[in-house]
Amino acid sequence: MATHSYCDGVNRRDFLRVGALAGIGLSLPNFLQLQAQGGVTPAKGKAAIFVRLSGGPSHMDTFDLKPDAPDTHRGEFKEIATNVPGVRISEHLPKLAQCADKFTILRGVSHTLAAHELGTAYMMTGNRPIASLRYPSYGSVVSREMNAPEYLPPFVAIPNYGNYATGFMGPEYGPFETGSAPQAGRAMEVRGLALRNGVTLEDVDRRQNLVKRYDTAFGEYAKEDKLLAGMDQFGQKAYEMMRSEKSREAFDLRKESENITKMFGTDQFSQSCLLATRLVESGVRFVTVTLGGWDTHQNNWETLKNKNLPTLDAGLAGLFTSLAAKGMLDTTSVFVTGEFGRTPKINARGGRDHYPRAMFCLLAGGGMQGGQVIGASDAKGEGPKDKAITPDDVAATFYRSLGIDPTKEYHTPSGRPVMIVRYGKVINEMFS
Amino acid sequence: MQKANRLSLWLLTCLASISLIAPLTAAPSVKQPSASERWTNLEKADSPSFRRHVVPLMSRSGCSGRECHGSFSGQGGFQLSLFGYDFEKDHKEITDDQEDGVRVDKKDPTQSLILLKATNEEHHKGKERIKKGSWEYNLILKWISEGAKIDVAETGEFERLEVLPKEIVFKKTDETVQLRVLAHWKDGTVEDVTQITRFRTNDDTVSNVSDTGEVKCTGPGDTHIVAFYDNGVHPIPVMLPVSDKVGPKYPKIVTNTKVDELVLDKLRKVGIVPSDKASDTEFLRRVSLDVTGTLPTPSEVREFVADKSADKRAKKIDELLNRPAYAAWWATQMCDWTGNNAAQLRGAGEKDFNTELSRLWYDWIEARIAKNEPYDKLVAGIVLATGRTSPDQSYLDYAKEMSSYLTKNHPADIADRPNMPFFWLRQNVRKPQEKALAFAHSFLGVRIECAECHKHPFDQWTKNDFQQFQAFFEPISYGANSNVKETVSYKSMAEKLREETGETDKKKQKKAVEAAFEKLVRAGEPAPWQELFVKRISTRKLSDKEIAKLKQKNPNYNSRVATPKILGGEEVSLTDYPDPRAPLMDWMRDPQNAYFARSYVNRVWANYFGRGIVEPADDMNLANPPVNKELMDYLAEGFVAKGFDMKWLHREILNSDTYQRTWKPNDTNRLDEKNFSHMVLRRLPAEVAMDAIALATTSSQQQSIFAGDIEKRAIGPNVGSGRKGQSGYALTTFGKPARLTNCDCERTSDPTLLQTLFTRNDPELLTKLEGSSKDNAWITELRRMNGSFSAEEKKADGELRKARATRQNLKKRKEMALAKGNAKPEELKKVDELIAATEAKEKELTGTPKAPAFNQEEVIQEIYLRTVSRFPTADEMAKAKEDLASAKDPVDGVRDVLWAMLNAREFLVNH
Repeated sequence: MATHSYCDGVNRRDFLRVGALAGIGLSLPNFLQLQAQGGVTPAKGKAAIFVRLSGGPSHMDTFDLKPDAPDTHRGEFKEIATNVPGVRISEHLPKLAQCADKFTILRGVSHTLAAHELGTAYMMTGNRPIASLRYPSYGSVVSREMNAPEYLPPFVAIPNYGNYATGFMGPEYGPFETGSAPQAGRAMEVRGLALRNGVTLEDVDRRQNLVKRYDTAFGEYAKEDKLLAGMDQFGQKAYEMMRSEKSREAFDLRKESENITKMFGTDQFSQSCLLATRLVESGVRFVTVTLGGWDTHQNNWETLKNKNLPTLDAGLAGLFTSLAAKGMLDTTSVFVTGEFGRTPKINARGGRDHYPRAMFCLLAGGGMQGGQVIGASDAKGEGPKDKAITPDDVAATFYRSLGIDPTKEYHTPSGRPVMIVRYGKVINEMFS
Repeated sequence: MQKANRLSLWLLTCLASISLIAPLTAAPSVKQPSASERWTNLEKADSPSFRRHVVPLMSRSGCSGRECHGSFSGQGGFQLSLFGYDFEKDHKEITDDQEDGVRVDKKDPTQSLILLKATNEEHHKGKERIKKGSWEYNLILKWISEGAKIDVAETGEFERLEVLPKEIVFKKTDETVQLRVLAHWKDGTVEDVTQITRFRTNDDTVSNVSDTGEVKCTGPGDTHIVAFYDNGVHPIPVMLPVSDKVGPKYPKIVTNTKVDELVLDKLRKVGIVPSDKASDTEFLRRVSLDVTGTLPTPSEVREFVADKSADKRAKKIDELLNRPAYAAWWATQMCDWTGNNAAQLRGAGEKDFNTELSRLWYDWIEARIAKNEPYDKLVAGIVLATGRTSPDQSYLDYAKEMSSYLTKNHPADIADRPNMPFFWLRQNVRKPQEKALAFAHSFLGVRIECAECHKHPFDQWTKNDFQQFQAFFEPISYGANSNVKETVSYKSMAEKLREETGETDKKKQKKAVEAAFEKLVRAGEPAPWQELFVKRISTRKLSDKEIAKLKQKNPNYNSRVATPKILGGEEVSLTDYPDPRAPLMDWMRDPQNAYFARSYVNRVWANYFGRGIVEPADDMNLANPPVNKELMDYLAEGFVAKGFDMKWLHREILNSDTYQRTWKPNDTNRLDEKNFSHMVLRRLPAEVAMDAIALATTSSQQQSIFAGDIEKRAIGPNVGSGRKGQSGYALTTFGKPARLTNCDCERTSDPTLLQTLFTRNDPELLTKLEGSSKDNAWITELRRMNGSFSAEEKKADGELRKARATRQNLKKRKEMALAKGNAKPEELKKVDELIAATEAKEKELTGTPKAPAFNQEEVIQEIYLRTVSRFPTADEMAKAKEDLASAKDPVDGVRDVLWAMLNAREFLVNH
């Protein structure tokens, strides 16, 4: 079957040579070879936190400002310096500016899917969505590749994830959704976890055996059927979680020291970030935290200035600094992204619309070098300046930090082989 | 509409002839030359048409794709309409480019930029799209040298696509078949457009398709290849049988219904043998859950099994369709499809009665489903609703009528009202385009979002179609009626209410008005209610001056007013209709309508099989064809012919063997999830699951009452819809939809860890199991029967629990000490002694098991009937007896086995 190469000129299998992206050139099989020869450092990430900015945050008003762009594009915000010389971000992110050495900004990340659902599917899987297949999200892949302690779910979503997290992989790799956001100084109420109504640990054990004795109706088919297999996995996990004191403590924010809690705000996003660090510390492998409200078709600057940016600033800065303080930043990969950027040209309603051709992502930890800016958008923020960074590249890099080979193949239930990331190339500068 | 119908009729006739080798001379008797034949030789080449050849060629070559010049902001300063359907704009963009100079150079056509770029002679980011001197090159060159003219007026309308062969049944993988595509135009022209058509496969594990239309088989299964040309979208079925059971090898299977016959026709082709019929108990549980959202009670199961009559299944189906729970469960689902979200029902009056209005919405639908009102009439009552129920109803009468439904004593029955206006009240469908999207989703099962901004990539809809469809909803308002002048109006009443408060402070006044409003409403007095009405729009043309003024206010103001046009149908002159929704409803009711009946048929089918004949069930588009077209046509046509009789449709499906097959698969259908060859397992929907838990645990007397008492049921009135919170925790966890987006996918049926934690250990579930002062549980009932705990026993039980806890703590201490490695031997000894002591105490407290005061076998049978609606096997009976015997208190034993059955997958799954 003849395949189209894309008009943006990126033939996905090409090696890239020029500009700020020189580092992307190493393809993965290559990388693995090098790794085998001891040519590259092994992955450090043992867990990951994925911060999802749903709605599509404006790149031009956050991490990719264009002070010299014309009035039709520039926007109201000014740039400020950060603790990394030469790296400048929005004036409404002062706390992040003070810890810019801990994360790296990817600019000129680019794709072409301007609808929320499709853009989200792309950014949360690293694969451009196609009609016949749903790709598994990062969390589901990590759940499958990395084991969590039996008393904790490998993949937690705060407060929830939405549909289709697992793609073709079946519900057992789906997220454990906390259902609500945690509140400052309180134990997260995860219903069904606490032992109440006079139930003892012994009862829990006995009942677990009982279920096994009685849940036999589907026989061998129970292993084949995705629904049944998923329910069975959850049954085992629920049992381990109920038995474990550690799992209850992981969700209890009161157990955190004051040194750490004071790094965060008291709003739900900050507290969710705090919970994410606790969960990772306890052994959860993948946590998603969602901050919505970025779909600023109108009142872009008011919304960002008064609401979104202060919230994001406090939560993310808390996340990076607390991970560093606990000595966990090096083993925890952090990925922050929306589904796309927003139109550089300001619309008639004082807003910006969906714009996937230029967006930003943040990467941190997991052995990835902080304090950098990689890639660039053009003068008006309308597209990548030189070569685009694709969501696939970011995905490959993210997986690499966790020691997961993005070219590994899975098989769908019908036997079709599918790579974890089809087209991405690791951004090597992240590991220099 | 015309187009779609002709298309489907034509498809139907075509499908009669099924053959792998295409009779290429079939439809038009003259062989049409291909594009390459026509343009390879530049000297003798035909005159190309902009619409028929140039635009499709650019679309096929990828130029107008989203990644390229079809992007919203173009590429390299050159922007085409996405997927190429805005001919005028595209023509202008190609030919009228003062800024860049020479995209089209009529004097020296070979120097035209579009050719230089497309051939990569001049550096093109998109690389070489066509070769210099190729037929593609010649086609464009010739078009330019002939003046690069636009010819949309001359070509007239496109009629249909014809793709040959009509269907491909492969014999093995890697086999290939070349497609041929013919474009039929209204003016009678027929052209071979294979080489300028875009192709797509719907499943590349079954087959893929090349740019030139060569289909290659990649594996067993069935899917469609879709061809796109102009606004024609045409799928053809492609398959490779999954087993060798085809043709003469296919077993003989008797079919008793038309549905079975049509399903089997498809199965036979793909080599899938259907499973056997389900047992009586499997059938009864499934049909009760599906039709009424309710588990059968144990006595019902016993009666059904004992019934020896041959037609007992048909009788049961009829009986279920007459139950209130049927009306309740389907009203709830219809509230899902129509978006009955209480939080959105604001602004109907001076105070919000959201949840009550949401309940009225539900009640109105439920009453109609209960009396089996024809579906079209039911929908018309929503679609054509206006606040006033007759032309001579005054505002005052209307305002009194609205209050009458919410009076404190003896409120009027909303079901008696001929229409239900709240569909149009929702805050999230204030704008006409939001109304258009919601309408298409609710009643047509069509997602037209894409066409709001550009040509729909997978369907025929263009941006113009959307604008013209949206025009139907422009004048629909929910507010103060501006059409009529009345002495008593919303404004006058609201004003009066404000004055009477005597408050000047805005906040205080608002509060006082709310209170006064509520008082009037609760007393059944006329109160200032807003109303749903059709705004009279002036048809007078605006003067240039007026337009200039409007443009000054809104730079995006468009002076072109769209004429309403039915999706795929005719334009409608509004002067003939005071309410533009009337011709829309007429169109939907037309027996030829391709969507209205099908969307209901498909949703009902999806409820019974876990997936629609078109899947997703609410995404009917040309590129997403039904998995079994004949089946869809038969049911939809029958439904219309029977006067939109909903129960006819339910019966037609439920009485088929196809519905009554077991879930147990055979070797040919293990992997089949879409051809209805066996029942696919489905997790119970949220409401049904909650009711099932309640029914399985409640006392025997309560059981039959609860099954019939819709008021208390989760499947019934959804007062809590659209609200998240502790009370709705379980429902939300199990995927009850919020009814906020135009998508049936809001309801989820995936299992999650939280769901499992709920059924294992949630306080809500454990309380249901053990019973409370509010709810009488079956377990409480048994305890009473067994002689309730004496005070002494209770005390002993408490001590026992304490002893157990102590022992556990001690063990933990011991383990920790051992782990740390700093344990002193004498301390360890002490701990061991303590453990021994508590163990002894436990033994003493446990004593000898108590003899039960009930018949063990009967109770075990009851557990199975309550949860999985069948009798236990001998093996299961023996196991349960063992477990009951080992329990200290026999009722605890029963409780634990009941708990285990609630947690067995057989319980939460419909099979």
